Amino acid sequence: MSGFDIFALVVVLLVILTLFAGVKTVGQGYDWTIERFGKYTRTLRPGLNFIIPYFDRVGRKINMMEQVIDIPEQEVITKDNATVTVDGVAFYQVFDAAKASYEVSNLNQAIVTLTMTNIRSVMGSMDLDQVLSHRDEINERLLRVVDAAVSPWGLKVNRIEIKDIVPPADLVEAMGRQMKAERVKRADILQAEGQRQSEILRAEGAKQSQILQAEGRKEAAFRDAEARERSAEAEAKATQMVSNAIASGDVAALNYFIADKYIKAFGEIAHSPNQKIVMLPIEATGILSSLAGIGEIAKATFGESAASAAAAARRPTVPNTGPGPGSSQGGN
Amino acid sequence: MADLLSSLGTWNWLIVGLVLVGIEMLAPGVFMLWLGLAALLVGLLSFFIGWSWQVQLLAFSAFALAAVPIWRRIGRTHVETDQPFLNRRADALVGRVFTLERPIVDGSGVVRIDDTVWRVAGRDAPAGSQVKIVAADGASLRVEPA
Repeated sequence: MSGFDIFALVVVLLVILTLFAGVKTVGQGYDWTIERFGKYTRTLRPGLNFIIPYFDRVGRKINMMEQVIDIPEQEVITKDNATVTVDGVAFYQVFDAAKASYEVSNLNQAIVTLTMTNIRSVMGSMDLDQVLSHRDEINERLLRVVDAAVSPWGLKVNRIEIKDIVPPADLVEAMGRQMKAERVKRADILQAEGQRQSEILRAEGAKQSQILQAEGRKEAAFRDAEARERSAEAEAKATQMVSNAIASGDVAALNYFIADKYIKAFGEIAHSPNQKIVMLPIEATGILSSLAGIGEIAKATFGESAASAAAAARRPTVPNTGPGPGSSQGGN
Repeated sequence: MADLLSSLGTWNWLIVGLVLVGIEMLAPGVFMLWLGLAALLVGLLSFFIGWSWQVQLLAFSAFALAAVPIWRRIGRTHVETDQPFLNRRADALVGRVFTLERPIVDGSGVVRIDDTVWRVAGRDAPAGSQVKIVAADGASLRVEPA
């Protein structure tokens, strides 16, 4: 094989190697740093790129996509000396490939360590109750601190989330009991309140009903009194009319009324089932004389001559009506 | 070896060229494609020129290198993308107006964008004032009062 043969082969190999070294296709989502003799010069962006072979060399291939890293579990002592186990996740994105390549060595480790120490300092300044209930605030504070700390590395931390906060088992148990007691307390209070309410309602009902009853009685008494007044008025009027009638007419007519009532009342007493022995404080003669009065009325009605006889009959009958059974009529 | 090389003829160049283009299809890198095209070119020229295999190899090398300027032009041509801000989140924010969450003191402050905080740099301004993002500088945004 002649020298020219070998030369031709070597040239081909060299050309292929040169092309390999000079043509760089960077995929979307990555940035490549270029070093000239070991010193950073520029960053290749996604797409077809050319570098000067033999001088330039690809340094680091940096992932420019947002990445998530796990923050491993660690124990944190809160301000009130409770030990809780905490883990989380952090999301970050590289914005400057050169800084991310050369300003920090072992980027992920740096972020994890930074976040862990900041979790400790943030949570260490809070009480357990606060830690458990203020996750948003913790995330927020962590994000601010860590984001500011990683900025020299050309990154931005977009989000830090505390995943789990696990207090020790005995504390969890105590918290459970506390919660249960709280619920029981609330239930008891509610029940007592319910009873109070119902008793008040019941008492109010009773009061209302008594008031209504009393009002009813009052109304009834008023009405009764009114009725009595009215009946007294009516009686007075009736008596007036009767006395008018007597004054203008025959006195014997009065006797008829009295006798009528008297006999009716006597009949009622006689019919009473439980009293067969009746004490009659009356004079039979009185009744007879009133009967005589009736006769006189008849005479006066049918004949003109009875005026003097009627005057004689009036005398015994009128006082007899007083103690008699028709007392309501003889009251005047 | 020498026999194999010396037997490089028209058809072998064409076969090698097609194989290289095929490899480019399987493993894209915009690299084998140009070698393959150079091989195809050598093979086609071999129909008309009776050159020795050494010269053929040199011609192949020359063609492959000559392809570089063409690549550069293609690489430089502006390719339309419907996602110009892919992986360039900060650049996508340029031109938008936000409210300062923390005052800009000594040139740096904080705004809240998309539920995360961004550091901004600009002239001092009190919290709550409106700022417009004029440029993205890594993970920090340059702002002007809006």
